[in-house]
Amino acid sequence: MRDRDLREGGSRPSGFSRRSFLKGASVAAVGTGLATEALADAAPTDGLIREDGVTTVPKGALEITLRVNGEDVAVTVEPRTTLLDALRDRAGLTGTKKVCDRGACGACTLLLDGKPANSCLTLAWDAVGREITTIEGLADGENLHPVQQAFVECDALQCGFCTPGMVMSSVACLQKHATPTPEQIRHELSGNICRCGTYGRVFEAVANAAKNGGGR
Amino acid sequence: MNAFELSLPDTLADAARKAGPNSAFKAAGIDLIDRLKERIDDPETVVDLLRLRDELGGIQATANGAVRLGALTTLQELADATALDAPGFGALREACGEAATPQVRARATLGGNLLQKNRCWYYRSNAFSCAHDGSGDRCLAWHGENKFHALFGTVDCVRVHPSNAAPALVALGAEVEIRGADADSSRRIPIRALYPQSPAARAPEHVLADEEILVAVHLPASAAAGRSAYRESREKLSFDWATTAAAAHLVVEGGKIARASVCLGAVAPNPWPLDDVAERITGQTPSRELFADAARRAFRRAQPLRHNAYKVEVGQAILVDALAAAAGLED
Repeated sequence: MRDRDLREGGSRPSGFSRRSFLKGASVAAVGTGLATEALADAAPTDGLIREDGVTTVPKGALEITLRVNGEDVAVTVEPRTTLLDALRDRAGLTGTKKVCDRGACGACTLLLDGKPANSCLTLAWDAVGREITTIEGLADGENLHPVQQAFVECDALQCGFCTPGMVMSSVACLQKHATPTPEQIRHELSGNICRCGTYGRVFEAVANAAKNGGGR
Repeated sequence: MNAFELSLPDTLADAARKAGPNSAFKAAGIDLIDRLKERIDDPETVVDLLRLRDELGGIQATANGAVRLGALTTLQELADATALDAPGFGALREACGEAATPQVRARATLGGNLLQKNRCWYYRSNAFSCAHDGSGDRCLAWHGENKFHALFGTVDCVRVHPSNAAPALVALGAEVEIRGADADSSRRIPIRALYPQSPAARAPEHVLADEEILVAVHLPASAAAGRSAYRESREKLSFDWATTAAAAHLVVEGGKIARASVCLGAVAPNPWPLDDVAERITGQTPSRELFADAARRAFRRAQPLRHNAYKVEVGQAILVDALAAAAGLED
């Protein structure tokens, strides 16, 4: 179940999932935390340059594997490619939106190991070995996530462009505070900007989602 | 963003060896990726530190009450840290818990926060020349749009230091642990020595050499005593860069201030310690009147620019609030 994956991501002690060592189709990549062992296992001939305790990812594109919404997704990225661009332009997951591209608006928010992150300020390589949850991963088939359902019921959007990021921050809020106070909702959503100014409805939706089990 | 190669070192020693004049260290990359996108920085190699959790991560309280904060500790981890529960550490938890946004706090690291570059809009835009980045010969902010710029301590560049954590750590008497190219070149310096003595245009914004890595921040046991507080003003309350900030650490004994340490943020190119304020209020009975008088004196030496004189009034209020909170006078 998607929800269960999400909860596990949220409650997992920091660092645990980063220990996983992913082998992509052509490139072996390391997750955080086990750099030495993992790199010792990595095949240096697969596009990576291995020398003197340093593995170098050269300029240019290589295939890596990202764990997105519980599935392995192969994407071809450069070292400079952001996670946002990798998802949108390589994996075809365009639910995560690009607006400011500088970490100021929150439209690109997703969950990395259960915690909110601006995917525009995250290198795709830094997401290797970590659990990525995007807006596409919230619903269970036709059944919307409680937060999504609450956004629909509260009509918590106008143009809708900030909505995926707003929903992801709302999910992160409810994972942190199962029954948040209005102040906590505002604090946890303070990284998301809505040009249309639908904040009142958004805060209402988060409160309603909490009542409907969105935080559990 | 120009292309770069990404180096994934096995250890801190490998990271230091890989660094050079054309490289940049990266932790979460919050500030670095922004600068790369704006083409303010253009390194050939980005040396990744984020995977070196074993050497750069973790919060450890020692038996004598001192606390070691690994450089990769995130701002959110600091805000929530049970090891920092003592009211003496309050300023650091508050500064980190209010910094930026939840998304940024969840990833941004302590080391990156302390070493981030200034936010002057002339410096941050390659559409403008700038004395600090070397693209121009004079500071455009000095006589231009300088609403968010410095009141104190400027030479020929009116940038302000953007870190929330730095003034709190200065007030708490923290030290930073720095590792050089080889292990025996490690050193520990007071955090105020992390920033340049003369913060002129073109002067590096911190004193670390190319191959040096900020490994950890050490809080002395004395920081746990008493109470500390951090307050900041912003244009936008939900999240914004501080327009003024103040951190205060006070130990009150028998109704008198036995020990004080105070530092301003967002008003000078470096965190701006107020040792004279600390000295003036030590031995006194804490009161809002005492703090207001001290704040007035502290801001008497301010040199406002055309558009930032408001910082003199606002900064005094923020300083009084921080002192009052640290003295337990609030509410």
